[in-house]
Formats: sequence, C-alpha cells, structure tokens
Amino acid sequence: MGASTQSVQLQRQLNELTGYYALPASSRRDPRRDRFRSLAQQWRNETQWLSSTTEVAMNPAYQAIIGMGAEALPMILEDLRQNSGHWFWALKAISNEDPVVPRDRGSIKKMKGAWLQWGQTKGLVRA
Amino acid sequence: MKFQDMTFDQVVSALQPQGFPNLNSTNSRPTSPYDEDYNCIAWAAEDTDYWWWPDAMGQKYWPTEVPREETLAAFVRAYGIQGYIERCDATVEQGKQKIAIYTASNGKPTHAARQIPDGWWASKLGQLIDIEHEFAALDGPAYGTVAVILARPGRNGGSEINP
Repeated sequence: MGASTQSVQLQRQLNELTGYYALPASSRRDPRRDRFRSLAQQWRNETQWLSSTTEVAMNPAYQAIIGMGAEALPMILEDLRQNSGHWFWALKAISNEDPVVPRDRGSIKKMKGAWLQWGQTKGLVRA
Repeated sequence: MKFQDMTFDQVVSALQPQGFPNLNSTNSRPTSPYDEDYNCIAWAAEDTDYWWWPDAMGQKYWPTEVPREETLAAFVRAYGIQGYIERCDATVEQGKQKIAIYTASNGKPTHAARQIPDGWWASKLGQLIDIEHEFAALDGPAYGTVAVILARPGRNGGSEINP
C-alpha cells in the first residue's frame, strides 16, 4: 500500500527543509529578501518617470515595503548603498528618525550619505 | 532591462504604455543620461543639485517662502521666486524665458518643462533622462496637460532666443 497524500507532502517539505539547511547561510534563499527584491523592482518599474515624491512613495509596492516594518531596514539600506534610489520616505516612516539636516533635503547624494551613516551606526548596513 | 541600460528608442517604447501615448522619437530627443539627483521641477528652474517637491514628509527641497503643498498655486509661487511671474502662451517670444507647469486630471502638479530657443521644451523625466520635445509630446495620463505657462525676462537681454 502506498504512502498517503499527506505523508508525501510532509516528506517533500522535509526534503526542502533539509536541502535549505544543507546550504551555507549565505546561499539560502530568504523569502523576505525575495519579496523585498520583487517589490523594489516593481516600484522602480512603475515610478521612475515620476517627479512627485508623494506619488513615488504612495506606490503600492513601496507601501508594501514600508509595511514590512523594521525587518526591511537592512534590505532598504543595502539597496540604497548598491542601487541608490529614493528610499528616504520609507526609511523615515519605518524608523521614525531622520538623520538628514534640513539644508540637505532634496540633495540626493547627501541624503543617501546621511542615511547610510545612520545605518552603519545602527549596525544595519556595512560600511 | 533597467532604464539606465536602454537606448532612447527603448526608453520611449517603455514609457508609451505608462501614460505617454504621444511620445515618440520624432517629437523628442535625449539630451542627458539617467540621473536621479534632480527632477523636472528643479530642471525647469535650472537646478541640477536638488530634487524639488513639496512632499508632506519634508524629504525634498522646496522654497521656504512657499507653502509646502501640492497645488498649482504653490508651484506658481515657487517659480515666481525665480522671476517667472507673467502668464503667457507657448509661443517663442524674444527676450522671454518660459516654463510650463503640467497638472493631472485631479489638478495636482505633475511636471514642469522649460522652453528652449527653437520652441521645443526641455524636460527631466523623473529620475530618468533629460529630453527636449515638442509642446504636446508629454501630454497624457502620466503628466496630464500644461495648466499654466509663465515667463520671465530672458537673460543677456533675451539673446538666448537668437541663434
């Protein structure tokens, strides 16, 4: 008599977990990271021609990233470091902090530098 | 493919279905590469160092003398500080520099362009490229249409209008 459907499913899940943990930590697929990458790409695809900071920030994919909360901060900061982008609204909304001095508002390079410095101080992104 | 890696024709093809039905490579031409440091509102004011927008989060540059609100009146006041105070039409007039402010169907500003001497308009497309284009090339769902055109006396006695 063959295995039940339930036991086959359980065995499949066990195999997936075994395979997952057999990989070095740096190679494991992180569903949260995959979701972030997908949402970030969607956000970029849908907003790059917009000037309105409000429209860019109200994009559903961007709002979904904000909805990920504090666990998104390291991913946002890493994306900011690697790809740049207007992540400042999300960083402020999630962290409830703003390291950008008023005179630098709108200076993308200086805003990026201030937030990466902030992230390094918090241990959220590497130097 | 990232916008940064696209040819101009590819950028145009990618933008058309995103609310730019009139844009094509005949009524527009690229003038600079991708640059996220400034936007169209800054570019119309000839500023390439800051991103201008009166967002409620206070993230971007906005003149302190002007209400931080997404209204046509606030944008008109912001450009008024730059000397653009005369309402006018889109014709080329010797001795005048002109900017056009676009609004969406909800009345909110979306875009600004600056007239160049040959009668075309210079625009920065969000974080993307700078282009020059015919007056109506950007009309459509993305940017809406031009709501107001403002003029100021041209620099150098208006000689920028002449070849």
